Amino acid sequence: GIPVRTTLDNSTTVQYAGLLHQLTMKARSTVRDIDPQNDLTFLRIRSKKHEIMVAPDKDYLLMIIQNPCE
Amino acid sequence: KSCQTEKISTAETAVQSHTSRDAGVQTDQSKDAVQDFQQEVQVDYTSLLSFLQRVEDGVVKELNKNWKSRAFDGFEVNWRDQNETVLCLHTLSYPEAQDQNLQVTSISWNATGSVVACSYGRLGAGDWSTEKSYVCTWNLDRRGLNPQRPDVVVDVPSSVMCLAFHPSQPSLIAGGLFSGELVVWDTGRTEDPVIWRTGMTDDTHTDPVYQVNWLPDAKHRNHAQLLSVSTDGKILVWREDRDGRLALAKGFAMLAQQRCLFFSQFAWGEAAVGVTSLSFSHFDPHVFVVGVEGGYSLKCSTAAETLALHRTGSSVPLRAPAELGFSVYSVSCSPFHRQVLNLFLSCGTDGQVHLHSMLQAQPLVSFQLSKKYLFCVRWSPVRPLVFAAASGEGKCNKCFCFTGAVHLFDFEKSLQKPAVSIKQAAGESPVYCFEFNVKQPQLLAAGDAAGTVKVWQLSSDFTEQGPREINHLEQLASEITD
Repeated sequence: GIPVRTTLDNSTTVQYAGLLHQLTMKARSTVRDIDPQNDLTFLRIRSKKHEIMVAPDKDYLLMIIQNPCE
Repeated sequence: KSCQTEKISTAETAVQSHTSRDAGVQTDQSKDAVQDFQQEVQVDYTSLLSFLQRVEDGVVKELNKNWKSRAFDGFEVNWRDQNETVLCLHTLSYPEAQDQNLQVTSISWNATGSVVACSYGRLGAGDWSTEKSYVCTWNLDRRGLNPQRPDVVVDVPSSVMCLAFHPSQPSLIAGGLFSGELVVWDTGRTEDPVIWRTGMTDDTHTDPVYQVNWLPDAKHRNHAQLLSVSTDGKILVWREDRDGRLALAKGFAMLAQQRCLFFSQFAWGEAAVGVTSLSFSHFDPHVFVVGVEGGYSLKCSTAAETLALHRTGSSVPLRAPAELGFSVYSVSCSPFHRQVLNLFLSCGTDGQVHLHSMLQAQPLVSFQLSKKYLFCVRWSPVRPLVFAAASGEGKCNKCFCFTGAVHLFDFEKSLQKPAVSIKQAAGESPVYCFEFNVKQPQLLAAGDAAGTVKVWQLSSDFTEQGPREINHLEQLASEITD
């Protein structure tokens, strides 16, 4: 994916964009393989340090990285 | 109907290779910078706007849910096998050096994390002996690793006091000698590994070089500069020159002045203060911390501009001496803490480890490890709350710390005593130096006075970062300052 707007620095943005785009496509195809009438609406990945959220769309992807409260 | 495959024809032949050649390969650092993303991409802003409006509600709901969620409290995943104990993986030594009773003075891991180099020499020699010493490297990933035979041995005419591998080129290693010279070796060359040396000119140090560091050069990625620190009070920056010589690029002199805290003028007749160690701040490439012989640590900046005689400039120290009468042997800046509260550790002959903040004169916390000397202190490269200190000799009989051990402290567990103490050897030889392996964070190499280098594999609690460690560290630092 090509980053259009970002609040992070360039290199991090490019890294996230490339990696998460591929993962979102894979997640979407997984959902549709199980049930072709279904589709991906939201993707959340929780890691030790933060939570990554992806809102997908036909032409765009919105990616958010949040520090969870503990 | 039935079918059948045709007869399969076979033949038998034998092959054998009768000539062979040995070659070694190594990857080089990639020369491309990160691609900048296109600024001129054609975007249909109205459709972008409608997309954002569509997803806004859902996303905000998820963000809020996440912020209040307790679902993952205390949930931890183990991706790797948990290692409960600390193991000694390798015991490396060079028998020729041990026969001459040489001690391990410095250890360095290379850029890829697979080669460990150690320098043999003598600490506290005190005389201008031209005793030969050695720099030995072992490649731990090689199959035919022989702990008694280093892969590369470099004979050095004088005692080597400190070593540093180049941060990106895996075969270059720089060393500081007892005579005040600096030499750079290329371990990939078989005939003469020396590629650069400072020689004995007017510019070189007049005292042993106790620490050498590579400074990345912003303009040329692979042409780093070298920085050396010595007890003659000079901090010199060297760059490559023609004919395999190192030329002086910049210099700083550490000078003592009786009463004032800040000074920026070099005045003739001031006593030079011997510098024993140095550590760069990981966030501001111009800021570094030095430990000096008088027993205090100073924060300095390479951006200091005031000139003085002999083309050396003086740096601007931040704090006044806290205690005199002992030497600081090692300082280390935390690789994790942000600019605001830069933390660094220092240790010295008083047997204490001090945790300092660069903004404050007094140390934040002091740990009395033992009455013995502490020769080296380092932050862990992966866990912000962990650091290690190496203890040496001393005259105390009552305390329970072993001589010759590396003590690992974990702020999460206890502020007072070490989490693990790794005793180096059965004998009583002090540990003079150790280094964490940045690329393989479970490895730690420690060198002692008996001339052996031990490579330890740390248990998993020292190699995996916990979920909120950086915040814990900041919290701890602010609690202590209050």
